[in-house]
Amino acid sequence: MREVWITDAAAVTPLGDNLNQLWQGLLAGQTGIGPVLRFPVDTYSAGIAACIEDLSSNGDRSMAHSLLERLIPQVDRVPPDSLLITATTKSGIDNLERRHLGISADSRDVLLSRAADTISRRLGLIGESMNISASCASSTIAVAQGAAMIAAGRADVVMICCLDLVTEFVFSGFSCLGALSPTPCRPFDRSRSGLTLGEGAASLLLMSAERARREHRVRLGTILGWGAVNDASHITAPAKNACGLIQAIHLALKKSGCKARDIAAICAHGTGTVYNDLMELTAFNQVFGDRDIPVCSVKGAIGHTLGAAGGIEVALSLQALSNQVVPPTVGFDTPEKGAERSVSSSPADISGDCLLTTNSGFGGINAALILKKGHFP
Amino acid sequence: MKALITGIGWVNSTGMGCGREHRRFEMTPGRLPEITRKAIFEEPYQRFGRMDRFSRLGLSAIAFALKDAGLEKWTRKRDISIIASTVLGCLDTDVSYFDTVIPQESRLASPNLFAYTLPNSFLGEAAIHFGLTGNSYIISSPSTWRLQSLRMAMISLDSGESDKVLSGVCDLESPDLFAATGKEIPGALFFMIEKISKKTGPAYGELSLDRKGMLNFNGRGVKDLVNLVQGCLAVEHAES
Repeated sequence: MREVWITDAAAVTPLGDNLNQLWQGLLAGQTGIGPVLRFPVDTYSAGIAACIEDLSSNGDRSMAHSLLERLIPQVDRVPPDSLLITATTKSGIDNLERRHLGISADSRDVLLSRAADTISRRLGLIGESMNISASCASSTIAVAQGAAMIAAGRADVVMICCLDLVTEFVFSGFSCLGALSPTPCRPFDRSRSGLTLGEGAASLLLMSAERARREHRVRLGTILGWGAVNDASHITAPAKNACGLIQAIHLALKKSGCKARDIAAICAHGTGTVYNDLMELTAFNQVFGDRDIPVCSVKGAIGHTLGAAGGIEVALSLQALSNQVVPPTVGFDTPEKGAERSVSSSPADISGDCLLTTNSGFGGINAALILKKGHFP
Repeated sequence: MKALITGIGWVNSTGMGCGREHRRFEMTPGRLPEITRKAIFEEPYQRFGRMDRFSRLGLSAIAFALKDAGLEKWTRKRDISIIASTVLGCLDTDVSYFDTVIPQESRLASPNLFAYTLPNSFLGEAAIHFGLTGNSYIISSPSTWRLQSLRMAMISLDSGESDKVLSGVCDLESPDLFAATGKEIPGALFFMIEKISKKTGPAYGELSLDRKGMLNFNGRGVKDLVNLVQGCLAVEHAES
């Protein structure tokens, strides 16, 4: 199996237009959550989200294009032969809203493959491209599949690009499901009452170690292992016994060759919903026992970015490993049972080279990645 | 990398069923048949009626593929992955859902419909109904080369991620509002692909993926999915 490096990472989130701004904002405990001004919210169960400042549509194009235009200039030297895997759940759905309202909108933007098509043309890529959609684990699975293809020698370079938007379509849906918190979400807090939506995009360049060395690329980190499992339990709720996530973590550990004791920190999904956070704590307790592993969630700072969440969290996890610190969990105050010694409202030092990142989503999917420390220049 | 095709199931404008029940297969443009629970499942299945059309279409083809492979019955959850390709995804459901949002200023927004506004929702339904705990995700590609899900299935088998993968395609007709986006022939088609082992049941033949990413069935290049099904049925009926 070939070694898989991550040689470039970029992100655009409500905490800034680049990864460094996001990282510094997180360490400072900032939040990008605020009132939604993009569409009327008076009939919904919440009025807040983490929106990117000044993000708007251009002509008849989806806002997704504007988001990608902020991300792509940050991407460093993408080889034309790269395989492109995008990950999104609903990136161009704002154009369906506009069509419904009788406003001119490019209907091609609603297709799941549209972002891949746009990025591929913009970067002049000649390789294949595809979008992977697996609800809130979309980009985690995209990273896993990209890594699997490089490890197996079926690709040399894979560019992962993930994105999702705050739209009325998605907002109304989570509102009618009763999943939105009326106040900024509080992952792993005993008083948490739901999630807060966010938007963002990230890119990750995955490369075989041989190719990366040949091209004198920086190793931001290594993807050691991955696992994805369906809990086959419920269409919109996680399995209470965490069977899917536990198995996904075990698969990732097995693939990585790591033992549970090698994991120095966890970047959790941590949506702030009652059931997700309980399920994750159950899984971590089952796999890691009584060990005090620092656990963080970034959803209180940048909201739940849906299909982009996993990719953004991988980029942040590389920063965390490089700096040997996990960012605070914004909104966390009174620990849920099982989170007392692991989750913190302050940055926490870590000691070790490996980090676990997890995401779970509708349709019962659970995904886990194990990353190894690299170096940020 | 080599594997066996052990089951095929489909629903399209020409009909529906399992590979071993048919001598011919076509994928032609036209209206999809109405998909009722009784046409697909022998047992009562309350959730089926609540699903959107896209989920019922995909789930039905998966049910036929599992039945064809003799894997529809289960007592313990199984490590079977599902990788499906789509162009339009659940756009039809998206339109229906947003119809419930805008006119009533969200007061009647349907939580049940919203749950199906993810293209992977039917994979979740299949996982629940058939006890499938492998990976599950949807692929969409700008190109119309719809062998991509089969390639990813073979890579999944090769990497040891799965021993069994359901792989196929699923698309409804394009909604009126987005008629210009729909170039694909509507329908769903799934293959049950299994690693070669002593436990593998009767197979149509051997599927292989070479180092250049080309798929072959029984040593001959696979042009597209229709060509692959026809090749499988030809082998089956030559033997019977």
